[in-house]
Amino acid sequence: MAEEAEKKKESPIIQVKNLYKIYRVGESKVYALNGVDFSLRRGEFCAVVGPSGSGKSTLLNMMAGLEKPSKGEIVIAGTHIERMTEKELVTFRRENVGFIFQSYNLLKTMNAVENVALPLSFRGVPKKERLEMARKYLKLVGLEKQMDHMANEMSGGQQQRVGIARALVVNPRIIFADEPTGNLDSKTTKDVLKLMRQIVRKRKQTLIMVTHDNYLAGFADKQIHIVDGKILKIEEQHHEDEEEL
Amino acid sequence: MRFLDLLVMSVNNLRRRKLRTALTVLGVIVGTASIVVMMSLGIGMSEMQMELMESYGSMTAINVYCDTYSQPEGSQEPVYMTDEVIEQFRRMDYVDGVSPLLNVGVMMRQGQYTANYVNLVGVTEDYMKQITVGEGRYPKMDGSEVELLFGNMVLQNFSNGKRGSSYYETGELPDVDLMGKPIFVIYDMDAYYQSMNGGTGADGTAVKPPKKYLVPVAGIVAGGENEYNQYSWEVYTDLEALKAQLKKIFKKNPIPGQPTNKKGKPYSYFIYSNAVVYVDSIDHVKEVQTAISDMGFQASSNSEWMEQNKKQSQMTQMVLGGIGAVSLFVAAIGIANTMMMSIYERTKEIGVMKVLGCDMGNIRNMFLMESGFIGLMGGVIGLALSYSLSYLMNHLPAVTQMMMGMGGMDGSISRIPPWLAGAALIFAVVVGMVAGFFPAVKAMKLSALSAIRNE
Repeated sequence: MAEEAEKKKESPIIQVKNLYKIYRVGESKVYALNGVDFSLRRGEFCAVVGPSGSGKSTLLNMMAGLEKPSKGEIVIAGTHIERMTEKELVTFRRENVGFIFQSYNLLKTMNAVENVALPLSFRGVPKKERLEMARKYLKLVGLEKQMDHMANEMSGGQQQRVGIARALVVNPRIIFADEPTGNLDSKTTKDVLKLMRQIVRKRKQTLIMVTHDNYLAGFADKQIHIVDGKILKIEEQHHEDEEEL
Repeated sequence: MRFLDLLVMSVNNLRRRKLRTALTVLGVIVGTASIVVMMSLGIGMSEMQMELMESYGSMTAINVYCDTYSQPEGSQEPVYMTDEVIEQFRRMDYVDGVSPLLNVGVMMRQGQYTANYVNLVGVTEDYMKQITVGEGRYPKMDGSEVELLFGNMVLQNFSNGKRGSSYYETGELPDVDLMGKPIFVIYDMDAYYQSMNGGTGADGTAVKPPKKYLVPVAGIVAGGENEYNQYSWEVYTDLEALKAQLKKIFKKNPIPGQPTNKKGKPYSYFIYSNAVVYVDSIDHVKEVQTAISDMGFQASSNSEWMEQNKKQSQMTQMVLGGIGAVSLFVAAIGIANTMMMSIYERTKEIGVMKVLGCDMGNIRNMFLMESGFIGLMGGVIGLALSYSLSYLMNHLPAVTQMMMGMGGMDGSISRIPPWLAGAALIFAVVVGMVAGFFPAVKAMKLSALSAIRNE
């Protein structure tokens, strides 16, 4: 048992060490992140919970390589992403990361299939192949009937499902979700979160979700509570796969 | 990203904003058309000038003069152009051909029509082959017989001997049938006039009217009765045949037009006052001309005149092109403006693409392609517009009449050579891309984070 635990600790997919983010506001310094340490294993569903302004979004952005840390290390799958150039970061995201946005951020000029296929086109996947894959993932999130709908012809829940399919289609190792259910009603929220957990668990992907809602965080395997740039506590809980979905 | 995907994306982005794209393209259309039309006018003018000059003589020919009357005084041997000198010219570098011009004034007659003075020119084959024959054929060039090639305007010299009416009075061409009936040539005009006036020769006997020679006409220089070219006013024949003929007629007596030595005796060889040297290319004209001048002859060519003209027309073209370029420049600002607007509008979209892993270079290229495409569309339509404007200009009666008024030049005033069309297209695309470059780089450098941040 001890050995197994050791093994698990040896290969975390994400390792955050002593991470700081300091903004200068005039003469004074604001610590958005004030020494954060944690690590995540492959296949974990982790929620970063905290009130507004606690630094949770900053943490997510830095892990996704959208923002540079002031100090500290972020190691993802053995690579230090804080040392990468912007160009390398783009490549890193293209190869390893899926992203789910709060406001879905679908391209309004494209229909559902094209939106899902977009990240594949950045990888140079031929059109026929990527549209096929996009359809497969749209089916997976339950949007068989809305494939040819334009983004603004769909409801919020449907749009977010498209967003999830778009994050999944590249088969990423890590999926970042920034308040993914922030614009959805509670029923849809539940559906979406369960769907995400189910898919991620099945495919052994790591999902990191940022939320301010403790109830939503309850869906995750691991909850990291952040207040004022510091980790307050880390909770772990195990959910059985719900069959009713 | 694949090139095709990038292209489709760019085109779709343009199609999304049809009106704005159309307006920007319109700017490029006007810019391209104004450059092309302006340049085509410049080119048309300079080409017309060239054509005009070419009608005065070949561009690679050097005319050599040797004034036989004003030779240096004193013991110095006169510098004459003889067959020997002509051979020297021929052996020079870059010289393709030489022809001395042996000018003889003669009288011609057919039926009741007489031309009192016709310049008969003996030339070599080098010269003869420059002339375009309209009717008939070239004269024999083997020295055996004098055959005539008539300039297309020589007929105007003939007048009705009895009625004395000439072409200049009546405006009607004399009824001389050059190709059908024979022409009589009187070489010894002095003798003719002396005999007409009952004059006497040196020995006191009455001068007999000179012999008339029946000379066949081989052909007529191409061109109508009013189409001037440099061969219009002369009658040409083979040099060797003419020399043989003159020697036969004048024997030991001085041949009119030929200089005599200090004792007033004719030389035993022919001396030419004019010669034409043909150079292989226009670039060597100056060099050969200098060499000939150094030999003590006066040499002139169209090349100096042309060079001057070239510079002038280049200036004209640059000024005209510059005027056109201003409007293309304005169009370029329009493109840049459109692209900037487009980037502000699509900030979020660009950010999302970047977060999803779209290469920065791809984003830049996408915008460059959009602006390049605007340039291309404007260029193509602008070129089509230029062609139609050019057609209109060349065919509007008012314009052609004005052209005829200005020095009687005819031909198209606006000419769009293929290189201009091609260059205009490429230029339009390049201008589009250059105008789009700054916005494209701006798009590329956009911070993904601030772009996706919820407002």
